[in-house]
Amino acid sequence: MTAPAKGKTWIRAQHGTSIAAVLALTGSLLFSGTPAPAPAHTPQALSLRLMPQEIRMWGAGASQRLVVIATFADGTERDVTADTRLEVNDRDVADLSAEGKLVPRNDGETAIRAEFQGQVSQASIGVRESRASRPFSFSREIGGILTRRGCNDSACHGGVKGRGGFKLSLDARHPREDHRWIVEGGTYQVLSPESAEPIRPRVDPKNPAESLLLQKPTFQIPHGGGSRFSAESADYAALRDWVRDGAPVREEEQLRIERIEIFPSYLVLEKGQHRQLLVTGHLGNGRTEDLTDQVRYETVNPELVRISPTGRVEAVATGETALLVRAPGRVANSRIGVIADAVHVVPQVTDNNLIDRHVFSKLRKLRIAPSSLSSDAEFLRRVCLDLTGTLPPPDRTREFLSSTDPAKRDRLIDTLLETPEYIDYWTFRFSDLYRVSYSSTGTPAHSLVYWAWIRNSLTENKPYDQMAFERISAQGNDGPSRHFLQNGEVSRPQDGMPEEMRVFLGYRLDCAQCHHHPFEEWSQDQFWGLAAFFGRLSRTEWTSEGAIVVFEDPAGRVPDYEETEDTVKVIHPRTGQEASPVFPDGTPLSEERSFDPRLALAEWITDHPNFSRTIVNRMWGHMFGRGIVEPVDDFRSTNPPTHPELLDELARDFAGNGYDLKRLLRLIAKSRTYQLSAIPNATDRNDVANYSHRVRRDLDAEILLDSISNVTGVPETFKNNWMGVAPTGTRAIDLRVPDLYSSKFLEIHDRPNRASIPERKNDASLKKALHIMVGSTYQEKIGDPRNRLQRLLTAGRSDGEIIEELYLRALSRFPTDGERSRLEQVAASGDSREESLKDIMWAMITSREFASN
Amino acid sequence: MSVPKPGDKIGCLTCTESLLKRREFIRAGALSLFGISLSRYLQAKSVFAEAGIDVEANATAKSCILVWLDGGPSHVDMWDPKAGSSFKPISTNVPGIQVSSLLPRMARRMDKVSIIRSMHTEENNHGQGTYYALTGHRPTAAMQFPSFGTIVTREKGPRNHVPAHVAVPGYKEGAKGNYMKGAFLDAKYDPMVVGTDPNSEGFQVQDLSLPKAISPKRLEDRRSLLALMDETYRRKMEMTEAFKMDSFTEQAVNMVLSPEVREAFDLSKESEKTRDAYGRTGFGQSLLLSRRLVEAGSRFVTAAGHDLNGWDTHADNDKKHRDTLVPGLERSLPVLLDDLEARGLLESTLVLVMGEFGRTPRFNSKGGRDHWPHCWSMILGGGGVEGGKVVGASDERGAFVAERMVSMGDVHATVYKAFGIDWTKEYMSPIGRPIKIANSIDDTTGQPVHELI
Repeated sequence: MTAPAKGKTWIRAQHGTSIAAVLALTGSLLFSGTPAPAPAHTPQALSLRLMPQEIRMWGAGASQRLVVIATFADGTERDVTADTRLEVNDRDVADLSAEGKLVPRNDGETAIRAEFQGQVSQASIGVRESRASRPFSFSREIGGILTRRGCNDSACHGGVKGRGGFKLSLDARHPREDHRWIVEGGTYQVLSPESAEPIRPRVDPKNPAESLLLQKPTFQIPHGGGSRFSAESADYAALRDWVRDGAPVREEEQLRIERIEIFPSYLVLEKGQHRQLLVTGHLGNGRTEDLTDQVRYETVNPELVRISPTGRVEAVATGETALLVRAPGRVANSRIGVIADAVHVVPQVTDNNLIDRHVFSKLRKLRIAPSSLSSDAEFLRRVCLDLTGTLPPPDRTREFLSSTDPAKRDRLIDTLLETPEYIDYWTFRFSDLYRVSYSSTGTPAHSLVYWAWIRNSLTENKPYDQMAFERISAQGNDGPSRHFLQNGEVSRPQDGMPEEMRVFLGYRLDCAQCHHHPFEEWSQDQFWGLAAFFGRLSRTEWTSEGAIVVFEDPAGRVPDYEETEDTVKVIHPRTGQEASPVFPDGTPLSEERSFDPRLALAEWITDHPNFSRTIVNRMWGHMFGRGIVEPVDDFRSTNPPTHPELLDELARDFAGNGYDLKRLLRLIAKSRTYQLSAIPNATDRNDVANYSHRVRRDLDAEILLDSISNVTGVPETFKNNWMGVAPTGTRAIDLRVPDLYSSKFLEIHDRPNRASIPERKNDASLKKALHIMVGSTYQEKIGDPRNRLQRLLTAGRSDGEIIEELYLRALSRFPTDGERSRLEQVAASGDSREESLKDIMWAMITSREFASN
Repeated sequence: MSVPKPGDKIGCLTCTESLLKRREFIRAGALSLFGISLSRYLQAKSVFAEAGIDVEANATAKSCILVWLDGGPSHVDMWDPKAGSSFKPISTNVPGIQVSSLLPRMARRMDKVSIIRSMHTEENNHGQGTYYALTGHRPTAAMQFPSFGTIVTREKGPRNHVPAHVAVPGYKEGAKGNYMKGAFLDAKYDPMVVGTDPNSEGFQVQDLSLPKAISPKRLEDRRSLLALMDETYRRKMEMTEAFKMDSFTEQAVNMVLSPEVREAFDLSKESEKTRDAYGRTGFGQSLLLSRRLVEAGSRFVTAAGHDLNGWDTHADNDKKHRDTLVPGLERSLPVLLDDLEARGLLESTLVLVMGEFGRTPRFNSKGGRDHWPHCWSMILGGGGVEGGKVVGASDERGAFVAERMVSMGDVHATVYKAFGIDWTKEYMSPIGRPIKIANSIDDTTGQPVHELI
């Protein structure tokens, strides 16, 4: 099986438009009643879409922005609103304002027609209650202004502690708290209900214009946030009138924004192009409302795209970024890709499975051609390391490389998934994630049963939801129950709960322990409601065997070391009240389930839609070095996935097929996406997030050490103070309780200590470089008289044979002719053949090719 | 009261802070009017920077030696003598300050160091306590925090070729060694771990000395061979950027071949008399090596020459403190202070002497004292920190803080201030959580111990 020749896998076509033409189209922002003549060199539009297709307007103040999208012969889409002729059928029902927005006139039904280059699109219009003014709602009116003007941004008053003596909830998520802070003043003290700074009301109903709420943002008095709006603005008037009316806190649930929709949900623009977004709010009363002009827009990377306060996106530089839309109480996101200019690349690659369908379709949108298929050697080493953490032996490499079986890759994947090394490797990976460590569980005996449970679960390929269920609901003294112990004590609910949430649902709740999550919807109440599910977890006394039993004590948590009856209660730190188990949607744990709260929680977690997404994303991250959501356990609205549909489909597939980890890995490994080469092409060189080519990464500490031992033929000796020396041949990934074993190499390479959920960093560093140049690991293995080199020399092998053997072992490939001849020269050139060959073996196991995958 | 000017010596933060804040806001408003974006302004939110105060110009320390007494020494038997101790108090060369009779030599040098008798920390086990002492944070499964040694290293950078951050000899166990690391900070700030006992025969620093089998020429040859292999690979994979490792490889070769670096670690350059004076123990030679490193240019050296949990006297507390532990400290620490002073290094070298907590004022049934984080003592001096003072006080038994609690974050802030580092700084963690570099109790910012600096 050979990789297709480069350049033949895709066809380049020249785009018909110049950038100047695109810029010319963006020239006019203002709507004009007569269509501008299309520039002569504009490509022909094939179809037209007027958005939204169904326009519904309620109430006197309603309006609707319109966007017209044309699709051109070259497959591109462009915002042609400014050049489109728009006509409303019945202008007594609705009409166009000077800004080009649709506004209601009288109740009724009509339609609007858009025409551009002879193409036509129509949308229906319905107007209701056109005389009724909308009732006041604090969060929509006041919260809306504070959100749109950025006052409650996390960097300003919406920060955890507020700013400058004034606190607001981020994006007006907690209107009652906002109202109190506005009327009473004060900031948020994380661990106490008392404000640390002097409290000063922000409103003055007797003299509304003297209110800090008005004087500060208009910069009539010094304001750290500068001038946010003028005293002549409508927002100023609205705030002033509200203060004058006594600053009411009325809340209309029916006007509450339940969901925000952004059109389009994924957008690709060429550099220099622009596009008007549409933001639709779905309200508590089931109606929709155009929020395009009422929200705050943010991009994660303002270097790539600029967004106006009214939702006009302009593509500035190539790349991909996320866009956030903030409305009172709700946040939504979408992604925007900016591609270079008019070069069209149409990749013609076949899809192996559903993964490729999603990945390649996005690449087509971004006009990135994926790299060619990896070579057999590249694939072999990659898949062996990724599925088993183990380099293939030279015989297997020779066999695989010479095989002409067209299905050999699929066969190899199937074989690897059934090897003992698969079990070893994934036991190691899950022991990392699940934190099997002596210092965590308190004694090696605990760690060993915990490890054994993980290993058995993987050996029988236990459905992952069952594995999770067993861990969350564990009692007694078997494996999964051990993870509730921290240094031999039962971990506190506020520590144990967020770990389960992060491991199984990919949510990092820790922030919400002390305050509402700074940029998510997790509230402090939700945190403590969840923590209370762990509130009665207790343990028996230590015995000489260390067999602590973990159990639910119906009378409440038994005070552990240094704890008292008072401190074991789960107390919400701000209310001072004891928390009881409540699911995040506000449903309290029912009375009949309260005999074992964690059983109910385990059901809730494993049924949660993010449960499958999280594990799928985690395994994807292992295979690709980057999650579809990255970091792999940081799911939040402000960190959207790169391929949301792919993630959802993989998660559905996983849940629908028995939560089968092997099946998932097989699906990933068999995709063409996974099998793409690391060698970039002209279009995908800069891509890091779209899987257009393999992005190689450094081997993790344990894998690197095992590979060095493998190539040199000198096993590592692992010693510890309790259990002596691990049996000869024990690999780093085989260590059941790794923190019992000190290892210079592993420390230098930043092996995680499992005291927190491991986040591996493989930074280049001086200590690694020093160890490579003169460190003991390399000296001992290279200098060992019984190492592989010495054995090959004793067997009378030639320089060429030795070099070939080392290449096959270390790099899973034959040396090229150039490499072979150069290294043969090196071997022959020094004073001693043996010493020169040692240097070659050293260079091989210190090279970047060896140390990465 | 006037608004502080650039170059002003900063006194009590709480007094100046409100002034600074007001000025900060005025300036910020002006900035945004002139079109500098709000977000940009918010990133540069150091109180001092905004007021134009140069914290760095007031630096008094160039280096820090953390003398680490692993296991937790008994404060009532050492720096905070109490009736509940078997050891009587003695006077020191500073009128009014008494220490335990186990410390006669340190008593004669009390003017060089000060005692904080009101340390209050939050973790009661060795691992967690060490973590807390080194990072100012309680351990959590959610994330790890950088140690204050890595923060000093990151803020101040190396002074020359000599490694800026060193652990002598470093922990034999993985877990504690990790606590000295920089967590989410770049690995280059992590300590270089010496690894072997500096009191051992033919002591050589791992990973810093050429092995016998490798001549300098061969080292260069190997590097060329590696460069050749990497270059071939880079070309094959059409990589445009250099490997990040390359610059470190070059630095490593220079370091191994550099005489100054080798010398800094070479204890054989010290006279037998000096080596004897420091004490021929792992601890004594660790202090000597620390002095050599600081002299050569290191920023932050942790000297932890004791056995793991060596000070953990759950049984026979008195015997251990009297016969081995305190005499060992008494032998070597005064020599370090005298030596630093004689070489003119004490004024630029901050010395901290502490463990992860104190010990119970009450004896247990085995004549031992157990872990006690609620109130304990540490000593510090040099590097601009005043000596001859006592900060805070414990209650009658030495059980709880009676006066002026000092937190770990306050100690860290003191170190930062001595180095001229803005102690109010926050680092942004990868998930966007701001982390105070001086984290005190209940989410407050640590403040320098103003009585001392």
